[in-house]
Amino acid sequence: MVQPLSGQAIYVVLLRELKRYWRAKARIISSVAQSFFFLAIFGLGLGGFIGGVGKVSYLSYLAPGIICMGLLFGSVFSGVSVIFDRQFGFMKEMLVAPVSRTSIILGKILGGAVTASIQGIILMAVAGIMGAFTPTPALAFGALAAIGVMLLITTGFVGLGVAIGSTLNDFHAFQLLSTFVIWPLFMLSGAFFPIDAVPLPLQVAMLFDPMFYGVELLRWCLLGVGTPMLGPFGWLISLGVLTGFNALMIGIGTYLFSRAQV
Amino acid sequence: MSSAKTDTIEVSGLTKVFNGKVRAVDTISFIVKGGEILGFLGPNGAGKTTTLNMLSTLLKPTSGTATVNGHDIVEESDAVRRSIGYVFQDPTLDIELTGRENLDFHGRLYNLNRNLRKQRIKEMLEIVQLTDRADNLVKTYSGGMKRRLEIARGLLHHPKVLFLDEPTLGLDPQTRHSIWEHIQRLNQEKKITIILTTHYTEEADHLCDRILIIDFGKIVALDTPDKLKAQLEGDVVSLTFKAPEMIPKVHPLFEKKKWIRRVHLLSVDDNQATTNRMMNMMHGMAAGSGMTGGINHGSTGRSRMPKHLEKMQPHGSINQNSFSNQALGSKRLNLLVDDGGHRIPSIVKLVDEAGVALESVELHKPTLDDVFISVTGRNIRDQRGSFMEMVRRHRIMRQARGRQTHG
Repeated sequence: MVQPLSGQAIYVVLLRELKRYWRAKARIISSVAQSFFFLAIFGLGLGGFIGGVGKVSYLSYLAPGIICMGLLFGSVFSGVSVIFDRQFGFMKEMLVAPVSRTSIILGKILGGAVTASIQGIILMAVAGIMGAFTPTPALAFGALAAIGVMLLITTGFVGLGVAIGSTLNDFHAFQLLSTFVIWPLFMLSGAFFPIDAVPLPLQVAMLFDPMFYGVELLRWCLLGVGTPMLGPFGWLISLGVLTGFNALMIGIGTYLFSRAQV
Repeated sequence: MSSAKTDTIEVSGLTKVFNGKVRAVDTISFIVKGGEILGFLGPNGAGKTTTLNMLSTLLKPTSGTATVNGHDIVEESDAVRRSIGYVFQDPTLDIELTGRENLDFHGRLYNLNRNLRKQRIKEMLEIVQLTDRADNLVKTYSGGMKRRLEIARGLLHHPKVLFLDEPTLGLDPQTRHSIWEHIQRLNQEKKITIILTTHYTEEADHLCDRILIIDFGKIVALDTPDKLKAQLEGDVVSLTFKAPEMIPKVHPLFEKKKWIRRVHLLSVDDNQATTNRMMNMMHGMAAGSGMTGGINHGSTGRSRMPKHLEKMQPHGSINQNSFSNQALGSKRLNLLVDDGGHRIPSIVKLVDEAGVALESVELHKPTLDDVFISVTGRNIRDQRGSFMEMVRRHRIMRQARGRQTHG
């Protein structure tokens, strides 16, 4: 059955995600605190040892990467939460309503992207307070652009989460998901070290990590620096890769979700 | 075809085969009139929920058709979805939201505008008496409150038809009665057509205008509770023996008495019968008359069964060998007897003369439980014997469903 997209349905699923996010205060606090520890301990600790990367301090260099860590975990788990909706039955309530599955899943993806980006914005503020970004007029624009970039980054990863959550039937797979998908994506993203400084095999692996382009783009927005390897138009390449990744993930996520049994 | 105005639901030859093997619902046909409460009565795994899932467009039928409120369930699924409310068997509330938010969410999904939502939510909360708890998170609600909220939610968009899947499963008796009252009130005041599934015979008896007994995916009886019970003429005398081995010994004695209409073994070990039927079902042989060997529903008929029920019986033939096998596990016999009160002394004497020790004797008017036993050959409550089978069956169905797609 082909049903048209319903703006109301997308909106209401998005609204639900926001309400649930806002109510889980403990989750927000623990996730922000975790990122803060990374920034403070690695940024200051390792920074005192390394000094800086290129023209920027290590804390500054690390900040966009840590923001991306928050975005990555937030978005993938938000997408994977369809598994809870399926197991705990709420999905049925949505599926028996006269709205298309596509509307439901687009609402879900949008909701995940927005909540994960809110998380990112909080982290951006924390990093700012810690002095990671040089306060210039350009930073104001950069921060605004960064919010758009966050939505772009998270959309694809929520889609990835939805695809995984629609396929798995088991909560125990969460540990595997974290170990074999999320952490490698994060560690290869170039959050901690520049791609130019690592051996070739690792470089190749990093170039295949979509989050690498997310970190690159966010760094460009907030610090005004890019990876020399990608050339002067690195930001454009990153934009292109992320857009392609999003399209692919929304497609796969929607397809797998529409096939999933409640 | 009868007019769509009076018949709210028309089902014709509806069939669902999972995984190419399991015939969960097997060519069922029936009609539900507007404003009626129809109960699907059957044990777990009989095909009740699968039928509701097809009627609510969640599952596509393998074959057959049905219309709900005049709309085809496959071709016009959107219109069907607008016409129905569905209260699922498993809880489907978002417990991290408040009761009011759950209702509001539902209203938005069904495209009710702001004012309408406000007004209906207020009205529904009053009907199910949750007004004062509306703004608490659902996770703080009791089981009965959650159930009431789900019923309120299912009615928020004013559906013509309400599906209730095991509405009182796992609730205490007091809450159960309160839910029954709500259901009856809704049916009478709002003229809503209701299909409910249950495996509680007293629930079906109390609530339903008509009862459809479903077993292994097939309809085995469909009538009003009173008529179903009236078809079992006489009284039921229930004999419990000290030792199950004694039953084959007394059984032939009862067979010879004219005033005993029917002898029925109760609390049989369902395992064998269930497994056999299961195998038949899986091989797609259930349709037609292919079920003979090993199939026994514990009754040895002298064809004293009412014509109507006789016809409804899915499995006609009786296998004496398997009867004695089954008898090993059972301790009770049910006799359908003319004028039961006066016959008890004769029955006791008969058993006594055969040298068999009785434990107890009971007398009652036929209940829906007896009807259920007489049409399915099993006691609806007695699922202990077949527990492992049920687990297996459940897993089979789940796995089969996992490979199905719908949308």
